[in-house]
Parts: sequence; C-alpha cells; structure tokens
Amino acid sequence: MSEEQDEKPPVFSRWSAWYWLLMIVLAVQIIIYLFITNSF
Amino acid sequence: MNTIDWVILFTTLILIVAYGTWKSRGSKNIDGYLLGNKSLPWWNVCLSIMATQASAITFLSTPGQAYEDGMRFLQFYFGLPLAMVILSITAVPLYHRLKVYTAYEYLESRFDLKTRSLAAFLFLMLRGLSVGITIYAPSLILSTMLDWNINLTTIFIGTLVMIYTVSGGTKAVSMTQKYQLTIIMGGMFIAGWTAFSELPNDITFTEAFQVAGEMGKMNLINLSFDLGDRYNIWSGLIGGLFLFLSYFGADQSQVGRYLGGSSVAQSRLGLIFNGLLKVPMQFVILYIGILVFVFYQFNQAPVFHNQSLKDKAMQTEYAGDIAALELEYNDVFVEKRKEAVNMVEAIRQDDAALVEQTRVSIEKIQGVEKGIRAEVKEKIAAAIPGANTLDKDYVFITFVMTYLPHGLIGLLLAVVFSAAMASTASELNSLASTTAVDIYKRSIKPVADDYHYVKASKWFTAGWAVFGMMFASIANQAENLIQFVNIIGSLFYGTILGIFLSAFYLKYIKSNAVFIAAIIAEAVILYCYFFTKMAFLLYNIIGCVVVVVIAYIIQYIENQGTKKASQ
Repeated sequence: MSEEQDEKPPVFSRWSAWYWLLMIVLAVQIIIYLFITNSF
Repeated sequence: MNTIDWVILFTTLILIVAYGTWKSRGSKNIDGYLLGNKSLPWWNVCLSIMATQASAITFLSTPGQAYEDGMRFLQFYFGLPLAMVILSITAVPLYHRLKVYTAYEYLESRFDLKTRSLAAFLFLMLRGLSVGITIYAPSLILSTMLDWNINLTTIFIGTLVMIYTVSGGTKAVSMTQKYQLTIIMGGMFIAGWTAFSELPNDITFTEAFQVAGEMGKMNLINLSFDLGDRYNIWSGLIGGLFLFLSYFGADQSQVGRYLGGSSVAQSRLGLIFNGLLKVPMQFVILYIGILVFVFYQFNQAPVFHNQSLKDKAMQTEYAGDIAALELEYNDVFVEKRKEAVNMVEAIRQDDAALVEQTRVSIEKIQGVEKGIRAEVKEKIAAAIPGANTLDKDYVFITFVMTYLPHGLIGLLLAVVFSAAMASTASELNSLASTTAVDIYKRSIKPVADDYHYVKASKWFTAGWAVFGMMFASIANQAENLIQFVNIIGSLFYGTILGIFLSAFYLKYIKSNAVFIAAIIAEAVILYCYFFTKMAFLLYNIIGCVVVVVIAYIIQYIENQGTKKASQ
C-alpha cells in the first residue's frame, strides 16, 4: 500500500476532521464536568 | 472466596496464558517478535494501548482515590486527547516511515548514538522501576486478602506473564490484551452496578450524585491555578499534555503498541479512539469509587480497610483498644446513617435548608469518624511496627470481597489480574525491545542472525520479569500506588520528551547540545523532587523546557565558537 493511500482516513476526507472531533468531544466533556461540579 | 470464585479466577488466568502462547506461536524473526509483523487493525491498537495504560493499580487505587479525595483526579487525564492529536500528526508517520523497532532508534538518525543510548537508558530506568509496581499491586491484594505470602504471589503473577510474553512477544501481548480489556470493563461495570443496586431507599443515580456532591466528592473541575495543587484543570491540561506526550510518544511500552498497527492510518485511529475513550473510562472508574462512598453512608464501613492487617493487630496487646474504638466507630455510623437518610429525604423534598443542615451534621460525624480511624491506625502502627497503615488502596477490593456475590468476586479478582498482566506484558515487551535493539544489537553484538536476536529478546524479557519481581518486594513503602507510578514517570518523562521535541521540531539543535541539556535537566528534576514541594506533574514541563532551552543556548554558544574559529 502506498503512503498516499495509507494516509486516507476513514469516514472523513481529512485527518484534521478527526482531530477536531477529538477536541470538540474533550471540550464538551469539560463543560459537562464543570456543570456537574457546580450542580452537585 | 469459595470454589466458584477460584474456578472463575484460575480458568480466566489459564485461558489467557494458553491463548497468548498458542496464538503467537511461530514468531521466529525479529519483526514478528518485536513488532507482531505490523498486522494489527486500529481497534486492536486502541485496546492494546488502553490495556497497557490501565494497570491493576488503575482498578485498585482509582476508586479508593475517589472515595477519599473525590473525582478531581479525572483532570489529570485532560491532556491525553491533546497529546493524541499531536502524536498522530508527528510521531506516528515518522516512526512508520523510518521503520524503527523502538522510538530511540530514531534519535540516532537525528542526533547520535550517545543521545539514543541516554534516552534508552532513562526509559529503562523508569519502566524497569514501574514494572515492579505493576506486578506488586495485584500481589498485594492476593497476599493480603487471601493471607498468602507476598513474595510467592509476586513470583506467581510475574511467571504467568513471563510465560506468554517470552514465548510470543508483541503479538502475544496484543492478542491477550483485547480479551483482558473486555474482562476488565465487564467486571468494573458489574462492580459499579452492585454498589449502586445495594443502596437503600431506592436511591436513584442522580440522588447518589447529589449525596456525593453534598459531601464534596463531585469536585470534577477546579479552575484555580495553583502550582502546589496536584489536580486542577491547568495541571491536567498542561502538565498532563506533557506527561502523555512523553508516555505515548517516547515510552516504548506505548510506542511498541501503535508500531504494531498495520499502517499509519490504523495506528492513528488507534490513538484517536484512545483519546475519545480514556477520559470517560476514568470517569466511570472514579464514579465507582463514589458509589462505594455513597454505599458506605448507608452501610457500615470497616474502621480500617486492610482487614488482614487489622486482624494481625488484634492478636497483640492493642486488641482491646482497637475493639473499643471499633465499637465507638459503629455507634457513630448509626448517627451518620440517620443523617444520610434525612439528607436523601431533604433532597427529594427540595428542602435546601434541611439539606444544608444534614450536610453539616454528616460533616461533623465524618470528622469524628476520621479521628477514630486515625487512632485505630496509630494503634495498628504501634501493634505492628513498620506496618503500612494507609488503607486507601484497600477500599475497593475490601468492598468487592465483602459485598459482591460469589462468582463475581472471582471475576473481579480476574479483572485485577488481567489488568496487571496486560500492562506488565507491554512493559516487559518494551523493556526487552529497547534492551535488545538499542543496547545489545547496537552496541554489543551488531552482527548476528534474526534467530539470535529473537532468542536474546526472549532472555531480556525473562530478565526484566525477574528484575520486576525483585523490585516488587520493596514497593510496599509507597504512599499510594498510582501516585508512586506517576511520580516515577514524571522524574524521567520530561527529559525524554525534551530530547524528542528537540529532535522533531528544532533542527537548529544538534547532538552535543541536547545530550548535555538532558543531563542538566535530569539534575534539575531530581533537585525539585528532593528539595521542593512542587506538584510532580510540573516536573514533566520543567524537564522538557530545561532540555529545550539549555540545548538551544549551548547550540548557540557552540555555533558562535565555530564561527569565530572559522574567521
């Protein structure tokens, strides 16, 4: 398998989309945890 | 423990060892033995990474950490997803392109042999020490809970791991880890559910949250910036980022896992999914500790969680004192339970004043409980001089042994063993890879056939297993197991990360500069550890920054000297 083919991510067309997804999931979690901390 | 528990425990252990040995038979070349022929799909890379990081310590210590200190430990993992992104962009394609066996091989092509050897040596130091702790943790449980000899227990666990790790190398490690992680997650879920379902008065999940919150345990996020505070969002995001960059980017026990991925894409996805799953997984494990805490608001908690040690103390002249304190503790609990029931009623009626009133009452009672527990610990320490009276690590396992039905006790012990075996196997495999490739093959015997290096790697795996078992025998001096492992990691990771960051991003810095800077950085970190009270997560940042800055300065001076000489 060539390097170019190898680099293609599944689902999204770019790897950066996966990275953004990871960042957004972390941010959402922190917001939820902050909400839990302040609520309970 | 009854027959069903023993059958479940030993069947699980034997099946794992047999499966790992059988499935990885025939690894005759060094590619197969150290890299598993680079054949793993992303999900197996992810499971392998998670199983490597989640040692038995995670499942023993973390619920106890939440029980005592609340959920704030979760913040420690916030830097992990950020580290996954950075490593997916930088380290993964680079390591795959260079076709390296270990992360340190890359350092020779970028710098020189001495820098590669220094980084490999620092890694062998930190991983060699922590493998002892990884074996020690489950040994501690079995020996304490079942009254076994600790040294024999250590040998038993170390030998089990050694059998399939020596025999099958990386492939055996990865193949077994996917089943080990399945057992671990299933077992932990059942433990959490049992703690929850045993709560009285039909307490809901949210009410358990509320009771824990009123007791100050739902302290998930602390936004204040305090250098002396071990766990706040900043130390988690910044210190954690540096720690996890080092752990996943420069620690062979993790690099070896994703180097086994069949392509760059598979390795990357493995890291990304680890980033997605790790924080929620830690949340669940910590919350199990919280459920145990709430459970003990309504059920009598042991006055001292290390029952075996207490039993030994009860055979001394201090038995009467301890028994009297225990009675007092039980009386106080009756009061606490009454207030806890009142608190749940107040929460249901949305009566804020009554909630506050019960909270204050429980806090007062907890103060009395704490005082009694401290006295019990003093008596035990006096009864058995030199005994470790910290019982945080026993909270969860004592709960499991006391309240879980038979069958599940065996399963939960299998969880602890599986976790220990999974992480120990990765550690032994990486120690053997680094010793074989970076030291033995590079500097001692550069010319030999594949069979020789496979054989040598097997001997190194066995050698490190023996070293780990020996170190395990002195590990019981540590204050809290999980913190001890993280402290050891932080002592060396910053320097290793500084070397790798210089290699990846700072082309200006050359070998001599980074080598001297790394030695200075290690001296600075050791100074901070012995002579300051700085939070240990910060060592990662300090080590890394000192390497980069000092290396840059030395390189600048060296370049100026060269310029002057050439003029």
